[in-house]
Amino acid sequence: MKKSLKYLLLVPGIVMLVVFLVMPLLSTIMPTVFDQGFSLKAYIDFFKDPYYVQIFMRTLRVSLIAAIVCIILGVPTSYFISRCHPKWRGLLMAISIFPMLTNSVIRAFAWINILGKNGVINTILMNLHIIDEPITMLYTEFSVLIGTIYLFLPLMIITLVGVMENIDNDMMEAAESLGANRLTAFFKVVLPLSLPGIIVGSVLVFTGALSAYTTPSLLGGTKNMVMATLINQKSTVLGDWTGASVIALIMIITTIVVMKVLNYIAAKLDKRGESNA
Amino acid sequence: MRKNKALLIFSIFVFAFLFVPLLIIVVTAFGEAPTITFPIKGFTFKWFANVFKSKAFVDSLILSGKLALYATLVALLVGIPAAYAISRFSMKGKGLLKSFFLSPTIVPGVVVGYSIFQFAILKLHMPVFQGLLLGHFLVVLPYIIRVVGSSLEQFDFSIEEAAWSLGCNKVQAFFKVVLPNITSGISAAFMLAFINSFNNIPVSMFLKGPGISTLPTTLMNYIEYNYDPTVSAVSVLLMLATIVIMFIVEKTLGIAAFTK
Amino acid sequence: MGYIRLKDIRVSYDNKNNILEGLNLDIQKGELVSLLGPSGCGKTTTLRVIAGFIEPNDGQFLLEDEDLTHVPVHKRNFGLVFQSYALFPHLTVFDNVAFGLKLKKLDKNVIQEKVDAMIKACDLEGLGQRFPKELSGGQRQRVALARALVIEPKILLLDEPLSNLDAKLRINMRIEIKRIQKKLGITTIFVTHDQEECFSISDKVAVMNKGVIEQYDTPEEIYAHPKTEFVARFIGFENFIPLKKKENHVYVGENGALFHVDNDVDCQSCQATIRPDDILVITSVDNKENILKGTVEVRTFLGKSYQYEVATELGRVVVNSSNEHIYESGQDIVLLLPANKIILV
Repeated sequence: MKKSLKYLLLVPGIVMLVVFLVMPLLSTIMPTVFDQGFSLKAYIDFFKDPYYVQIFMRTLRVSLIAAIVCIILGVPTSYFISRCHPKWRGLLMAISIFPMLTNSVIRAFAWINILGKNGVINTILMNLHIIDEPITMLYTEFSVLIGTIYLFLPLMIITLVGVMENIDNDMMEAAESLGANRLTAFFKVVLPLSLPGIIVGSVLVFTGALSAYTTPSLLGGTKNMVMATLINQKSTVLGDWTGASVIALIMIITTIVVMKVLNYIAAKLDKRGESNA
Repeated sequence: MRKNKALLIFSIFVFAFLFVPLLIIVVTAFGEAPTITFPIKGFTFKWFANVFKSKAFVDSLILSGKLALYATLVALLVGIPAAYAISRFSMKGKGLLKSFFLSPTIVPGVVVGYSIFQFAILKLHMPVFQGLLLGHFLVVLPYIIRVVGSSLEQFDFSIEEAAWSLGCNKVQAFFKVVLPNITSGISAAFMLAFINSFNNIPVSMFLKGPGISTLPTTLMNYIEYNYDPTVSAVSVLLMLATIVIMFIVEKTLGIAAFTK
Repeated sequence: MGYIRLKDIRVSYDNKNNILEGLNLDIQKGELVSLLGPSGCGKTTTLRVIAGFIEPNDGQFLLEDEDLTHVPVHKRNFGLVFQSYALFPHLTVFDNVAFGLKLKKLDKNVIQEKVDAMIKACDLEGLGQRFPKELSGGQRQRVALARALVIEPKILLLDEPLSNLDAKLRINMRIEIKRIQKKLGITTIFVTHDQEECFSISDKVAVMNKGVIEQYDTPEEIYAHPKTEFVARFIGFENFIPLKKKENHVYVGENGALFHVDNDVDCQSCQATIRPDDILVITSVDNKENILKGTVEVRTFLGKSYQYEVATELGRVVVNSSNEHIYESGQDIVLLLPANKIILV
């Protein structure tokens, strides 16, 4: 095989990525660290400002809680799907996939209908005379969280089903024959074996939530900003390009750190022999 | 298989959580009141008519469709050769190269949109549509690399060698033997890329100009200022389209194509 | 009265087709019983009924006269070895073996002691901290066995445990299983489709077909006297010749030839069956009975003998004959079916 060919095939992609991803990123980020010599002042300023720190922490908090809730809701449901008769499994998978293919604007809009002042929950509670005044649920951190969970739960379920389907039923039966009831067998066998899937799912949910824009923008309002909405506000509303670029780099680094940390934990926990590395 | 009641009930609860919100949208699309109410009063199709009367919605629908199609085609054109090279040849830094091609997934969409806006549009004075196309290309390229790549991983390259031995040159062998065997991977990649481009907001957010706004962006702006069932009607139409796509995919590639 | 009793077990998934049709089986304490049959005969289903994974639609499963039909798997305390071994990939060999003991909440030191002893007994010393992925097929098999035995089960159930091993290892492992089984005196049920494996290891064999037991006997008895055509075919009888009864011990073929049969049965028309090894090729016809004339069609070399496919007046017959005389295809030969070797089914 001529050497030139394989590089020829790769060149268009590499050029496109360098010119339209790497260069734009560098050209936006460079000014934030080079201000008459190397300086991290812009970043230090960001983390000194309580307003920004609050937004940064909110972003992390929402992403973390969303990931945990997705695990709690997703693990049993995925286990249920993976043990279903294949006929039903296909249908349940389709049901899980459908929201994922639906536009995130629509999915956020669904919760505006439910949580809003005149939304479904308030209407029901008022009609039942449980409350007299509508409760404020929309435009709170709670609504952002619900919307984020709603956005990413299908992703978690689909990832987990993929892993759980491959756990041989013999494994469960072996555990049962050794004296484990179904719950014990689930915790001692299925859960540890699903760990790689749980980690992959968590990475997807966590990093997805970190950069989600639509949901916090529609359900959080201006009071509950996250990093993704902040970058938009900084640049298009305030015209603070350097400030926006600072946030951009912080988002990228946070994403990478989260990925690395979770993958490190996965490698630590998933010890089934060196050959599995 | 013996059933576990608690697990069944839990799963039903989760599926209800996933579906009831969407069902509520469907119901509200038919209400007569000028703002969204639930439960609805009366029954009407007028909000659907409203959608098609609105130039903003129709134009942005066409734009989104065009954009998703072009972005996907460009990504296929660039991505298939790259995926082929990565899985076919042994070379140093193969893993690194693959991560490089998947790197747009690490960069938050908002950041991709923002940096293209700054670099390509403000600095290079590129037209907005081209900038939008680039952004969407970056978003969908990883899907192509991953899905086509995984179907190439399963391809037995001795088949390609057999074609060479029978007198095909490299290019012929690729088109006559390799490509026909990865069509289902390419179709799956196409579909995933198209849907993700069509639904994308973060990248498009920054890249709008006079007369250039994608459907999700238009929808989002509309929601910020209006609360009438037109949005519900648009949602119902999009969900119907999704169901049609899912049905076609299920019949051709199998539902698993969505999980790649 | 057996130690284990299956009474009229019926299993059906759709209530139309029965996987098991009123199956009965008695097993004595300390016996090693094999369930032998082709795939789909219900042998694994039977094992799963005993293990408790399947609740039969009808019938009872008794252990020492105690009805266990509806007792859940995890309360039965039976040792199970799976065809796939089903070792827990996330646990070391030690933790795999200790799994059942930990669930019994035994004292740590006791667990350590028992697991160590079992690891030693199963020839796994030094492998305790390895993961299943790092073991050879034979070692995995022994871990599976150790894991099942360490809980001191009332019975041991083996589902085709040797089918994933290569031929040589299989023979060693079956001797090993037999040795451990006899040493512990544990009642064992062994599912297999391999006739040789099953005969070599079992005290008794239940040959199964289509959800029923066709014959339940010692391996020797089944080998010598299969009771049905299915059993005969399954254990290597290849020749089946339809005969009609003339008088006791004398049968007649469709061409009028007479056959003397030592082992007479009570039937008017039946099939005579005989192993290819037991048929003699003779040159001079001084006897008029138990004779079949035919023409050699195909000759194949088996090593210690030749196998001939012979077209006879009563159908095609397969004969194994020593290397002393070689017959060519097309040659006419005479076959003698000894009266003491013919089995009627």
